[in-house]
Amino acid sequence: MSIAVERLSPSPSGGRQGWGVVVERSVPMAGAVELVVSQRSAAAAVAPGQFFQLGVSAPHTILRRPYSAAWSDPRGGRIGFIFNVVGAGSAWLAGLHEGDELDLLGPLGRGFDLEGHRPAICVGGGLGIAVFPGVVDALIARGRSVTVLQGARTAAQLLPASRFAGAEVHVATDDGSAGHHGSVVTLFSTPLTGEGEGIDILTCGPTPMLMALIDATRRHEIPLSAIQVALETPMGCGIGTCLGCAAPAAAGGYFLTCQDGPCVRADQIDWNLMTDGFHG
Amino acid sequence: MAFMADRPDLTVDLGRGLQLRSPVMVASGTFGYGFDAPQVDRTALGAMVSKGTTLRPREGNAPIRIAETPSGMLNAIGLQNPGVDHVVRVYAPRWATWDLPVIVNVAGDTMDEYVAVARRLSGVTGVAGLELNISCPNVASGLQFGVDPVQAAEVTRAVRAVTELPLIVKLTPNVTDIVAMARAVEDAGADAVSAINTYIGMAIDVRRRRPIISRGSGGLSGPAIKPLALYAVWQVAAELHIPVIGVGGIMTSTDALEFLLAGAAAVQIGTVNYVRPQAAAEIRNGIADYLAEHGLPDIRALPIRSTSVLTHV
Repeated sequence: MSIAVERLSPSPSGGRQGWGVVVERSVPMAGAVELVVSQRSAAAAVAPGQFFQLGVSAPHTILRRPYSAAWSDPRGGRIGFIFNVVGAGSAWLAGLHEGDELDLLGPLGRGFDLEGHRPAICVGGGLGIAVFPGVVDALIARGRSVTVLQGARTAAQLLPASRFAGAEVHVATDDGSAGHHGSVVTLFSTPLTGEGEGIDILTCGPTPMLMALIDATRRHEIPLSAIQVALETPMGCGIGTCLGCAAPAAAGGYFLTCQDGPCVRADQIDWNLMTDGFHG
Repeated sequence: MAFMADRPDLTVDLGRGLQLRSPVMVASGTFGYGFDAPQVDRTALGAMVSKGTTLRPREGNAPIRIAETPSGMLNAIGLQNPGVDHVVRVYAPRWATWDLPVIVNVAGDTMDEYVAVARRLSGVTGVAGLELNISCPNVASGLQFGVDPVQAAEVTRAVRAVTELPLIVKLTPNVTDIVAMARAVEDAGADAVSAINTYIGMAIDVRRRRPIISRGSGGLSGPAIKPLALYAVWQVAAELHIPVIGVGGIMTSTDALEFLLAGAAAVQIGTVNYVRPQAAAEIRNGIADYLAEHGLPDIRALPIRSTSVLTHV
């Protein structure tokens, strides 16, 4: 992974700007909104873990809002986005209804590497779980064994297990209202790790959760290279021109979340320099 | 919409042979080195200004580097760039194949560094001009040359002495008297000025009780600064004999027209590049439509106040 700005080719998909139409709006879990957007070319082009820069027209906002596709249905020409309302931009998006148009730039960045045969464990904390419905579908379609570990503050904020068909789902809540009482990372125990053949871990969530996961995997002697992280950083352009989404690289310097990620192997990140401000 | 034959003349002469086919340029730091935004229609642009380039590669500032603020954004990238040798070796040969002038934004910590970078870029095929960045608010010494007319003139004169390339000096608004700065660099040999760079500002995360930008402050851009930038251009254009390039919060062709009416010879668009990839084309077309509607032959007819005689006319 290069860390300077030696970028002589567009991102793998060369994201395009286009308009989609909201065809469905729902509340998949407490505090979150799911928009289903009809946009045929984007739905066909997106890979699990890639993101879109969604245009918002909220008063006094400027920048697009980066969201991973939660899933896509290439044949139906539809993409799902799941997000929390955390500010003016997400509130504006949450206010969209069926029939409204949505400005999409994407797909952008690099998604997860889903190839291989080892069992895969998907670890999602909070809204980090939003990227996984499509990831799990793609892993299952490849014939891989998948376990989903989902953590939330409380039961109502869990994405239903039915969204992960074919996977084994375990949950943890901070208040003990569902599943394990405590951090999702404590679900990560020896029986899950399939010691003989090794495992792949795919994760997304708040930085403290990611740090705890890294610690846990070290205890299980799982190499960092077996972990893929979907990073969330503040983002400006989403295409590599503003250099605003820098994240600390293990090799020194910074890489760009939008171009080198958002999905990166954990051994590429300098975890000592990661900041919790990345997840607001 | 007028017929093609009636389309107004959108060309701009920035001096020393730097001819633009459109008055719309992309501002430094908002377009990288031009390889990352395939969504943008390059034919709509008059010129591209590259990311600020230094003698040696720079890693840039630690995250967090950007924050959205009301109608604007703060950035403190810290001049992350691969260094001038890489630009000359890898990027310039590709620019040479483009039908678009590329102006390299030159940054440095010392007079010697500015001069060395300018010297390295001189005579390089694919480099159409230099924009001297004496106004970066996001590195330790970035503003040093931009806030003192004597030093600004010195660095301009020193760079002028080593290059025949068209030389634009980008002014910072973080000064008491921007007109004095503009006059100083004009007298020192600048072919044009761009006005303005970002305004220093900050935002605080009240939950974490610390500045959002890790460096504390950042440069404010976007519509929030447009009236301030417009007034700076209005003041500077009245006093200078060289072209003024208007920069600051331009989102639409109406915004761009305000700058052209205020006396700018051309404009740069920045923050809008992050939002609407088609902005350059929309703004260029909007200016052309306005000229056609008002029966104006070219953009030189736009300034609403007769300024001093422009050397490029």
